[in-house]
Amino acid sequence: MDFKDYYQTLGVARDATAEDIKKAFRKLARKYHPDVSKEADAEARMKDVNEAYAVLSDSEKRAAYDQLGQGHHPGQDFRPPPDWQPDFRAPPGRGYSQAETADFSDFFAELFGRTGGARAPGPDFQARGQDQHAEVLIDLEDAFNGAARQISLRVPKLDDKGRIALDSRTLNVKIPKGVREGQMIRLAGQGGAGFGDAPAGDLLLEIHFKPHPRFRIDGRDLYLTLPVAPWEAALGGVVPVDLPDGGQLKVRIPEGAQNGRQLRVRGKGIPSDPPGDLLLDLRVVLPAAETPRARELYETMARELAFDPRAETGV
Amino acid sequence: MRDDEILTGAILEDSCLTLDQLAGACAVSPDWVRVHVEEGLLMNQDGDGNGEWRFTRRELWRARHLHRLERDFDASPELAALVADLLEELESLRARLQRAGLR
Repeated sequence: MDFKDYYQTLGVARDATAEDIKKAFRKLARKYHPDVSKEADAEARMKDVNEAYAVLSDSEKRAAYDQLGQGHHPGQDFRPPPDWQPDFRAPPGRGYSQAETADFSDFFAELFGRTGGARAPGPDFQARGQDQHAEVLIDLEDAFNGAARQISLRVPKLDDKGRIALDSRTLNVKIPKGVREGQMIRLAGQGGAGFGDAPAGDLLLEIHFKPHPRFRIDGRDLYLTLPVAPWEAALGGVVPVDLPDGGQLKVRIPEGAQNGRQLRVRGKGIPSDPPGDLLLDLRVVLPAAETPRARELYETMARELAFDPRAETGV
Repeated sequence: MRDDEILTGAILEDSCLTLDQLAGACAVSPDWVRVHVEEGLLMNQDGDGNGEWRFTRRELWRARHLHRLERDFDASPELAALVADLLEELESLRARLQRAGLR
């Protein structure tokens, strides 16, 4: 396990005051806030910054970290002493959700994650386990065909000495057909363990789609840019469209369709109940006038069609 | 549970989270949620008919942002709500760009 230099992460000296640490953290939080940051690795950087701040902003954790970290350098192999059993009253990361602290490094988990606010409760103590939250990234195709996804979680669990340990587990979860962006799947009893005879909490999975190379997704509806030839647009025609479920759709282009026109195919979006629509944005693509024959055809049109595309714009 | 067992869950409909579930998902106290709803900073549905508050995933997203902004910058709840409003606006404009195939 690599040693992490939290002071270096925040860019402060080892004797920095609490105020300096807060100031440095806010500066970095503004720089790497995932909602607005233009930095490529903003999310990963913000996670590091949060982890460093969770430790250095808490005087008990900071003292323990200083004591353990004496003489260590970042990246150097690090093992906490075998008798390392800090007794913190605060939860692993004050103000940070379980999902956030579970995402912190192994170094953090080893030092602070093993101990929780809840010390071994008495034998009569009963409480339902906490609900856990996780995100699952799926492909659009999964919403069409249904799928099984493997997800890895780190969940707090009481060990045999009554301390809270972070436990890694892998679950196979069914992704139901028709699922939409942002929806939640509830897996009853798969969250944190309960105390005493109380039941475990639930696991709530938030569904997110990976970007698709062809389709754009909005709720139940799908958007697709459909390139058409000028004669398909002008004369009308039937154009094949490949669907995410592997099927194919034949779409009728109405005669006289213009570039930018939107066609709605009802019921061909995400197959939820009711199903969404497929919206096709027509994009007329002109053939290049690269060959003498192609030039001749364009010249014939120019000569024989009384067409002024700017007639109505007054240009 | 066997390793190869496939778990099947239930899809939660919109406006489904209870106050405690929302608080748990954001690592805040139920009181934090109550105060933000009462101050009009976090809107909620009328409830399930029994007077119990229910929250949509939209509000979960908003509550997480409000909490992060208040925590990371010591922002006042009103200022955090203003930033969350702007982020929501940004999000909806980005979604429009995406639908139009412009990004």
